[in-house]
Amino acid sequence: MTEVDAGRAPLRAGKGWMYYAIRYGFLCLLIGLLIFFAIFAPGFAGPRSAVFIFQSVAITGILALGVTCTLVVGGFDLSIGSVATSALMLSAYVMVVMEQSAFVAVMACLVMGAVVGAINGFLIVKMRVPDLLATLGMMFLLIGLQRIPTEGRSISTGMTLPSGETADGVFSPAFLWIGRHRFDLVLEDLIPVPVVLFLLVGVLVWVFLELTRHGRLMYAIGSNERAAGLAGTPVARYKVLAYMISGVLASVGGILLAARLGRGDIASGNNLLLDSVAAALIGFAVLGAAKPNAFGTAIGALFVGILLQGLTMMNAPYYTQDFVKGAVLVIALMFTFALSHRRGGGGH
Amino acid sequence: MNFTRRVTMGLIASAMMATGASAQDMPAPLDNPGDVTIALVRYLSTGDFFQAYLAGVESQAAALGVDLRVFDSRQDAALQADMVDQAIALGVDGIVIQHGLTESMKEAAQRAVDAGIKVVAFDVNVENDAIPQIEQSDYLLGKLALEQAIEDNGTSWDAGYVYVPGIAPLDRRHVAWEEVKEANSGIREVAQMGTLDNPIANSNANQARSVLQANPTISVFFAPYDEFAKGVKIAVDEAGLSGDISIYSADVSTADISAMREPGSAWKATVATNPAVVGEVSVRALAIMLTGGDPGASVIVPPTLITQDFLNENDIKNMEELSAKMPQFAHADVAMTDWMPLPPR
Repeated sequence: MTEVDAGRAPLRAGKGWMYYAIRYGFLCLLIGLLIFFAIFAPGFAGPRSAVFIFQSVAITGILALGVTCTLVVGGFDLSIGSVATSALMLSAYVMVVMEQSAFVAVMACLVMGAVVGAINGFLIVKMRVPDLLATLGMMFLLIGLQRIPTEGRSISTGMTLPSGETADGVFSPAFLWIGRHRFDLVLEDLIPVPVVLFLLVGVLVWVFLELTRHGRLMYAIGSNERAAGLAGTPVARYKVLAYMISGVLASVGGILLAARLGRGDIASGNNLLLDSVAAALIGFAVLGAAKPNAFGTAIGALFVGILLQGLTMMNAPYYTQDFVKGAVLVIALMFTFALSHRRGGGGH
Repeated sequence: MNFTRRVTMGLIASAMMATGASAQDMPAPLDNPGDVTIALVRYLSTGDFFQAYLAGVESQAAALGVDLRVFDSRQDAALQADMVDQAIALGVDGIVIQHGLTESMKEAAQRAVDAGIKVVAFDVNVENDAIPQIEQSDYLLGKLALEQAIEDNGTSWDAGYVYVPGIAPLDRRHVAWEEVKEANSGIREVAQMGTLDNPIANSNANQARSVLQANPTISVFFAPYDEFAKGVKIAVDEAGLSGDISIYSADVSTADISAMREPGSAWKATVATNPAVVGEVSVRALAIMLTGGDPGASVIVPPTLITQDFLNENDIKNMEELSAKMPQFAHADVAMTDWMPLPPR
């Protein structure tokens, strides 16, 4: 996905209006949107409203940060949505059917995410399967796999198992805490745990990609895999690592989803996939980065969240929301590709 | 079927009630049910409702003793039509078409009828007089839920409404909502929302949060689909408004029952048809046709109102207990004949 960065002319010295348009245009758009909704959507402005915008994007945001890591190494992960819904089903299965604790459920999900990521990486690096195809296969595999243990039914306490027994386990309060607890901040019960996790993951991924040697090497692999390899980078290891990060973060998203829903709903997760990929791609445009980056991804997710919340408050029907999401993505991609080309460089 | 046979059969049937009727009691060709094959051709299969529907089809087919083949097109309209042709080629005696699109199924259904196969259709109109429609009355689902809302809250309230146009059952439930608004000027729809992005409950929870924030006057939410109601309930809980808002919905599942029974749950009532019963009725209607009878052009399975109070009073935790405590939910007395064997309960 990052081949576009390769072979560009170095950044020109001139900093005309175009430079600022590319660098800050998207953020200006975001602020303009905030002002618009604050005026026209009743109840939009306010701390609680701000918090649930964050909450509504926390899960897709975390998934998007994972996909960002795979975009950085020039890959792509189509399986994140189904990893998330598999984690949702797995955590419900561990607690409700196997009657285990919240800790076991969380660990099971994280391990599952890491294993799926490792398999993706193995398929791509060792088996030479193109990334889109490998993760597409994994996506279908997981959508099917998550339904096999319950024969396609959602998991909830009291459900009848295929064997005819009744499942007596419950979602443990500690697990539900992950999705539902709110920390006090100025106002009582303001910040939900998923939002804290989203911000935390955002900072961690940002630090990892921007400030560590490992992150730099991953960007190097993304822009020219061969050159990076010749320079001594263990390309295969970093690529597998990227998919494992993606898988683990997707399973974190799934855990949050399960904790919020309080039951194991069967779902394909395709909407989660599309929304998080959109967020990561919109992120290319933020600050004129023209490359996958953690800060941009987080802003991209928020941008979509603000739009959707504002539109819902103004009673806009659901299909306008898809339209708007698409429009934002197209505009963001235009910022990224056309304008950056005209600028003459989007170097790292 | 002549009178004497009917009497003898009635006697035998009553004698064998405990074990269910045996094959010899049923009119031809069901007197030799092992040789009868029926096919279920599905359009929708993902989700609890469709899973339960299939279970109903399977158990009624087993009670009859007929051979059941299941074709699952997984929302592929063209494939579903092909599957009807496959069933014809297989030489089945009867076909149940479950959902699908009128445009794609109309001709395939006609081909089956032309081949001498008995066909019934559930929740899809194939525009064919020879094919009875099995329906759960979505209109009644909406109407009963709203009647309960009016009984609980009077006729003057601000409502949030969850609706996605273009989905046939939701459109039919929508008619009931329009009528109620028409008849009660005190009932105002201040916000409409809804999405089918999955996970549906999560996406609707996000929307409902904004709606509640923007419209603090809402006291009733009409969410005529259980996934919608689940989403609204999450939003209401997160906003700390459980005591101030009542949710009325349609459909039910084990998970819904536990959500309705959470302490202080805003989810006050739901109206549902047991999908397993709909499955059983579909097969019974087909069996009646196979024996030369006529189940009627449209076979409607009546819905049941399920309130939070009823669930709490009877300590109902899952669908099985609901069926046990609510006989009208466990069995619908439609598409019945005196020889019809019922699945064991």
